[in-house]
Amino acid sequence: MSAARKRVRALRLNNRPVEVLAADNTLLLDTLRETLGQTGTKRGCDGGECGACTVLIDGTPRLACLTRTQECAGHHVETIEGLAENGRMSRLQRAFHERLGAQCGYCTPGMVMAAEGLLRHTPHPDEAEIRAALGGNICRCTGYVKIIEAVQDAAGTGAEAAP
Amino acid sequence: MELLPDFRVATPVSIAAALAAGKRHPGGRFVAGGTDLMVNLRHGIGAPTALIDLRAIPELRGIASGTGGMSIGAAVTLAELAAHPAVAAHYPAVAAAAAAVGAPAHRAAGTVGGNLCLDTRCMFYNRSAWWREANSFCLKHEGDTCHVAPTGKRCHAAFSGDLAPALLVHDAAVEIAGPDGLRRQPLADLYAEDGAAHLRLAPGEFLVRVALPPDPWPSAYAKARARGAIDFPLAGVAVALRRDGDTVAGLRVALTGTNSRPFLLEGTAALLGAAVDAAWRDRLGKLVQKQVLPMRTTLLAAQYRRRVASALAQRLAGALGGAAD
Amino acid sequence: MNVIRNTRDVVGQPTPLIDGIEKVLGQAKYTADLPAGDALVGRILRSPFSHARILRIDTEAARALPGVRAVITGADCAFTYGVLPIAMNEYPMARDVTRYRGEPLAAVAAVDEKTAEQALRLIRLEVEELPGYYTAAEARAPDAVLLHANKPGNLEREVHHRFGDVEAGFAAADLVREQVFHCAEIAHAQMELNGALVDYDAARDHLTIWSTTQVPYYVHLMLARCLEMDMSRIRVVKPFVGGGFGARVEVLNFEIVTALLARAAGSKVKMQLSREETFLTHRGRPDTEVRLKLGMTRTGKLTACAAEVVQRGGAYAGYGVVTILYAGALLQGLYQLPAIAYDGYRVYANLPPCGAMRGHGSVDVRFAFEALLDSMAADAGLDPFAVRRANLLHAPTETMNGLRVESYGLDACLDWVERASGWHDRRGKLGTGRGLGMACSHYVSGAAKPIHWTGEPHAVVHLRLDFDGGITLLTGAADIGQGSSTLMAQAAAEVLGVRLDRIRVVAADSMLTPKDNGSYSSRVTFMVGNATIDAARALRAVLVAAAAERLGAPAEDIDCEHETFRAAGSEGPGLSFADAARAALAREGGAITAKGSFTCPVEFQGGKHKGGAVGATMGFSYAAQVVEVAVDLDTGMVAVERVWVAQDCGFAINPLAVEGQMQGAVWMGMGQAVGEETRYERGLAVHSSLLDYRVPTILDSPPIALHIVESIDPNGPFGAKEASEGALAGFLPALTSAIADAIGLRVDTLPVTPDRLLEALAKRQRERRLARALEGAA
Repeated sequence: MSAARKRVRALRLNNRPVEVLAADNTLLLDTLRETLGQTGTKRGCDGGECGACTVLIDGTPRLACLTRTQECAGHHVETIEGLAENGRMSRLQRAFHERLGAQCGYCTPGMVMAAEGLLRHTPHPDEAEIRAALGGNICRCTGYVKIIEAVQDAAGTGAEAAP
Repeated sequence: MELLPDFRVATPVSIAAALAAGKRHPGGRFVAGGTDLMVNLRHGIGAPTALIDLRAIPELRGIASGTGGMSIGAAVTLAELAAHPAVAAHYPAVAAAAAAVGAPAHRAAGTVGGNLCLDTRCMFYNRSAWWREANSFCLKHEGDTCHVAPTGKRCHAAFSGDLAPALLVHDAAVEIAGPDGLRRQPLADLYAEDGAAHLRLAPGEFLVRVALPPDPWPSAYAKARARGAIDFPLAGVAVALRRDGDTVAGLRVALTGTNSRPFLLEGTAALLGAAVDAAWRDRLGKLVQKQVLPMRTTLLAAQYRRRVASALAQRLAGALGGAAD
Repeated sequence: MNVIRNTRDVVGQPTPLIDGIEKVLGQAKYTADLPAGDALVGRILRSPFSHARILRIDTEAARALPGVRAVITGADCAFTYGVLPIAMNEYPMARDVTRYRGEPLAAVAAVDEKTAEQALRLIRLEVEELPGYYTAAEARAPDAVLLHANKPGNLEREVHHRFGDVEAGFAAADLVREQVFHCAEIAHAQMELNGALVDYDAARDHLTIWSTTQVPYYVHLMLARCLEMDMSRIRVVKPFVGGGFGARVEVLNFEIVTALLARAAGSKVKMQLSREETFLTHRGRPDTEVRLKLGMTRTGKLTACAAEVVQRGGAYAGYGVVTILYAGALLQGLYQLPAIAYDGYRVYANLPPCGAMRGHGSVDVRFAFEALLDSMAADAGLDPFAVRRANLLHAPTETMNGLRVESYGLDACLDWVERASGWHDRRGKLGTGRGLGMACSHYVSGAAKPIHWTGEPHAVVHLRLDFDGGITLLTGAADIGQGSSTLMAQAAAEVLGVRLDRIRVVAADSMLTPKDNGSYSSRVTFMVGNATIDAARALRAVLVAAAAERLGAPAEDIDCEHETFRAAGSEGPGLSFADAARAALAREGGAITAKGSFTCPVEFQGGKHKGGAVGATMGFSYAAQVVEVAVDLDTGMVAVERVWVAQDCGFAINPLAVEGQMQGAVWMGMGQAVGEETRYERGLAVHSSLLDYRVPTILDSPPIALHIVESIDPNGPFGAKEASEGALAGFLPALTSAIADAIGLRVDTLPVTPDRLLEALAKRQRERRLARALEGAA
């Protein structure tokens, strides 16, 4: 097999224009992790089953492991690395940290990005909306209880301080 | 982890350009969201030389509704379809089926055309190249035996798209573009009961739009799956039911996940003119049990898919038929 | 007693993980995220055969492929590996015989992924196939070919334990029941895929591995063995690890294979396994059949227990001997049991090897025990809570198999879940299809006897203080998300009377940190926690001595709180931590390293019978839970609506982490109970994706209300015991108990998938019809 020809793709990544060399068959996940060194976005399965690679494309949660880099040309890709504000945790990230929404942390980037997509669209989701939005993100540590609390906390819809 | 094959991507912006691209790349595949195709390609199932991305073609986009019914572009995403107020109001089974696919990120990428043209699935097929080779491949791909029914001659992989039955009970038609121009046909005619060749699409053909007739009957969709998200249907049932007073004046039932094609239940005419009661539901249930053909293509038992398809059909029809009991 | 202060500033406070910020920012580097530079790509060729004699592996064409830097096979490593010194029977790549589909046969290092995969396809295998056995019964058949020549009957280990007079116990019972239970094999499905990065420095013959492990020390040992390298030439580093649950508590084949590849190539090799390969590496909970017999008096007091347990262990030993011993040993330690007969059989089969998984060895047997107890309670007209209360232990006590119970909060756990769930008002009254069930469980806080007897302490921690006033805690313990680094920092800060953020933890790098046996059997809180306290006391003594000199007061009068040293009763400003640190550094001659250690006393190390060390621990955690379900009789779906769980973890050093662990454990039990199972088609894994291995999604997961019971264990750090495993097992029987309450059906096979439940309902329907027909005929 001949090496696929790479072309320059211009996209926005975390509010900054970037140009990357990528072949037509290059996945966004590989471009982010291997080419751009943005390893916050994780690989957890062999294709579309776990949600660990969830990123936002034009504000909507998408799976980087099923998305070709070429599709993203001209679009805005946001990853977990783009949420922090001047290196400080965003409100959502802080809520995941303080509420222990992250244990091993491996599903966390995808989980946070899925939640971020939800909150931009629905700033004050109820519990059912949170569950629906995070349905494709598997977490093996938390049982999801504290993940829901974290999203509620960030949205200001949670109960008062946990007992 | 397997690498994607070396393919080039074409992004035509007109039907004509797409058809030309299809002709230029005989080893190519049409693609939209790619949520199913990319997984199969990563598993070494197929090695297209080109992917022809149809999503930039204006004719494949948008949802239009009017007195003539509704027209849905094949490149409309499942998320758009599920969220469309007119779809939810008039064709509730369609909105429910779209919302039942995978998880949010799949629906944001996956399209109407992609879900209707979804490849059939089987536990012996949706596997890595190493796995399939260790199992001597299978009748559907690269092999000569169906591991589900080794003495048979056909592939039993199951169609597992959610949307098709919901569209079938609304009597949908599809518009297909091909080398010979545009043609329109009932959605039901798109499918054949053969897991290895379940789509009646000629080389170079692709779906353009789906047309739903006006004055739809009340409808609903239910999906049996082991988990609340991600999973394909073990069985999916759509029912459209029109009442005249207390009796059933019109009934369409369609199924997915149980056969190599989605299909409209036959013999429902015998259930018309009666009220929906326990005996009526029982007759409907038996009709479903008789026509579904689940085979051992999923980890959950085939017999379960038969039972649950029947139970869901009865439940939906009962609710739509205003069952008193 | 380890309760050393009256006020608790740091321990006992809900504390976000000290390494949690990196995780939410996406900055945490897991093995696959480490900068690998121009590392070669490693790939493994896996056996397509269940059982075959290897005649030839032809790698010539693969070696000749441009871009290939190394090709290795079983011929390149003649050393077995394994976690138990008595049962090392696995090669990194199969030699002579391959025993399961997915076993590594060869491996390639190449300049890129594509070349590596092409090279794998060029390797030719010549084999002579042997019969494959996929169930314990097949493998135990008299004419079965042996997987391992030295193991007749394909039995890895038989255990026969008798304690007390079992026959007399059953004779004294008013009610005796016997039933067979079956639990499917399950997998950890940790989110992070297996992988390793190995840098081999050919000029110096020095090797560094970064790997997805819970046990860096065991990896170190086995690399030294399999590569015949002096241990000082090997460095093992554990980066962030994305979960373990027992999947990574022994060295795994890919770690050794990557190291062999790196050495063969004289280079750096990155190995990243797929999800399918991660499932094939396995080490999950074995398929288990339990034949259980219990005797009970009419007041609910247990009189005797007889259990026969058969575990299908897969193709190699792994932890198998320990698993089958745990299954018997942990029948005890939860309730009073006057007589026990245990017969355990660990069986080889041509499947990926099983290993340790959260609740190691205890879970499936606990399911059987509690489920049978529940149905016997119903038969006897007794409340399930009353039956448990009739059999409570009274600490301190010692069980018949030599397990010491020093603290026991099960009664308080029962009280809370009973009240919180509204048990008496709601059980049996929720209407058709809804029900409540309950059960109890327990687990060890570390195995009291280490696997390797070296004469060293069971845990060692160093604390280092230098000119900057920061305290560096050096530990070999592997934080895999459970929060052990945070816990140690809390323990040290508490003892020293300093702010939590003055402590920084450096963990699990063999070049820097003291050896630790690893994160398994819930040993870290208890053992490393105690070692941390010991180290902190040592450092505190140094600081106090210096402060005493400066303050002109006797050392025994000095205390440090909120970073200020003061003499008892003194009203003065005291001495700041920074000044005390400076004084100590001057006094001690510069940078200070304080060492702490912990060793389980020999009297806790179990009974004298063969295998008696397994199950022995210094502290058991206890849990009770109530589960509420809604059963859909049309679809067979069991929805878990709510869970109430209480756990006695001794003392919650970090209540936030304890909550997270309890919820995670209960939920993992739910996964096993309702949907997770491995499945094989003639030895080929058909569960090997996260679509087919059905880990519950957020939509399937209930709210979990919880309560922490603090029994203050006399030996635990601040009174703490384990918190992450004990609540898992109870979920399974609580679920089947709730299903029985909801629909009157007692399930004896797990998982309760919707197809199994509908089949069971159909069977009941047929039996009822038959019974009616017979009644009519009579």
